[in-house]
Amino acid sequence: MRPFLGFRRASGRPGVRNHTLILSVTGLTTPAARRIARSLNGVTVLGTQHDSGLLGHDRKVHRGALAAFACHPNVGGVVVIGANEPVVEMVAGAAASAGRLVEAITLDACGHDVLTLSDKALRAAAGFVHRLSCQRREELPAADLLLGLECGRSDPSSGLVANPLVGAVVDRLVDAGGAAIFGETTEWIGAEEPLMRKARDATVAERLKAAAARRESMAQAAGIDLTGNNPSQTNIEAGLSSIEEKSLGAIAKAGSRPIQGVIGYGEAPPGPGVWAMDAPAYAPESLTGFSTAGSSMALFTTGVGNSYVSALMPTLKLTGNPATARRVTQQLEFEASAVFTGEESLDAAADRMVDRLLEIASGALTWGEILGEGDEAISRFGAVL
Amino acid sequence: MSGSTALRLAAADNVATALCDLEAGEVVELEGQSVTLLERIPLCHKLALADLEPGTAILKYGQPIGRTTAAIKAGAHVHVHNMRSARAEATGGQ
Repeated sequence: MRPFLGFRRASGRPGVRNHTLILSVTGLTTPAARRIARSLNGVTVLGTQHDSGLLGHDRKVHRGALAAFACHPNVGGVVVIGANEPVVEMVAGAAASAGRLVEAITLDACGHDVLTLSDKALRAAAGFVHRLSCQRREELPAADLLLGLECGRSDPSSGLVANPLVGAVVDRLVDAGGAAIFGETTEWIGAEEPLMRKARDATVAERLKAAAARRESMAQAAGIDLTGNNPSQTNIEAGLSSIEEKSLGAIAKAGSRPIQGVIGYGEAPPGPGVWAMDAPAYAPESLTGFSTAGSSMALFTTGVGNSYVSALMPTLKLTGNPATARRVTQQLEFEASAVFTGEESLDAAADRMVDRLLEIASGALTWGEILGEGDEAISRFGAVL
Repeated sequence: MSGSTALRLAAADNVATALCDLEAGEVVELEGQSVTLLERIPLCHKLALADLEPGTAILKYGQPIGRTTAAIKAGAHVHVHNMRSARAEATGGQ
C-alpha cells in the first residue's frame, strides 16, 4: 500500500489532520467552548454535557475519553477549559505528555467570569492555529493508520457490497501492517462461530463469545428479544434468511484477517491487525469509541444515507446502493454502485477505495468535514448522582 | 467482469445473491459457472449454485448461514421456506 502524507507526532500515532481543539471538559463550560470556536477560523470544538455526579465505570470512561480527545493523533494543539480544576489539569497534563500544544483555563482562575475565560481561550487558540499552520505533512507508511469501522442506516446493499468492500480494504491495510477496529457488539450475535474461527487464539474466541452473550442478556433484561424475531419480517422480505446471514453481513466490515483481541469501549488496541471493540452500536457513541481509541479515520457504510461523522476522525462514507449514490452526492466519499450492478469486481472497487482512503488521509476533505456534521458522544453505562 | 446479475461473495459459497429481480429461465453467469434459474429470484434474494441435499450447510461469505430443510436444485430460490438458521434452531427460536 502506498504511503500517505501525515503529521508526525512527538509520540504515538501520526495524524491525518492537525486540529486546534477547543475542549470543554465540564458541562458548565461547553456553551463557552462553542462561543470561542465561533470566533475563530480553523478550530474544532468538543464539549461534554456532564461532570460531577458521574460514578464508577462511567466516570472512568468519561474522563479517559476527554483525555483521549486532547491526545488524539489528529489534534495538534488543545485549549482545555472547564469548571473542575483537577479534571482540567488531568486532561491538559495528558495532552502535554503526548507532546501537544496545550493551554489549560479554569473558570476558577477567571473569577468565575465566563467572558474572561472566553477571552483567554480565544487568544490561546488563535496562537495555536497560527503555529500549527506552519507545520507540514510528510510521507508516512500506511502501517501507521488505524481505522474504525462503522455502519449506519443499512439496507440489503450494505451486507452485500459496502461491508464486504470495507472488509477487502481492511485486509489490504492489515497486510501492509496497519490496524482496524470493529464494534457494534449486538451485530456479533448470530455470527459468534465465524468470529471465533477468526480469533487469534482460544482466549480471544471465548471473549468474543462472552461479549455477544452479555449484550444479548442486556437486551433480554430490558425486555428485548434480539434473536427470536431476527431477521425481522422486513429483513426477510429483503432476502435475509437467518440471523447468521444478517450478522455476517455486518461483520463483513472486519475482513478476513485474524482478530487479535477484544478491547473495551474507547480502549486503544495494543498492536496492529484487526481488533474487536465490545461497544454500543449507535453510530455517535460507537464512532467515539473508535476515536478515543486513537483511530486515524473511520470507514462508514450506509444503505439509505447517514450524514453523521466523527469530529476528530475524517469519516469516509460509502454505499453500494445505486439510488443512494445518486441521491446524496454531497455525503458520500466513495460509491460502489458498479459492484451492485455487476460491472466491477469487489477487488477492483477495493483498490479504488484504498486510493480514496489515502487521499483523504493525506488531507482531502470529506463532505462531513466541509459541512461540519462532526461530533463526539461518550457512551454512558449506568446511574448518575 | 461484464454485468453479472448475481454476486457470489466467496469462492466456497453454494449460493449467490441476485443484484436485480431475476425471472425463471434466465441464465446467471458467474466466474467459471452458469446457472439457469428454475424460478423468480427477487432483488437481494439467494439462488442455489448447486444441487443441495436436505441438511446441507448454506455458505455465504464463505460461512454457514443455516441448513437446508429440503432438497434444493441448482437455480432455485433459497430462503426461509427451504433453509433454517442453525443458531435459531440451537436456541429454540424461529
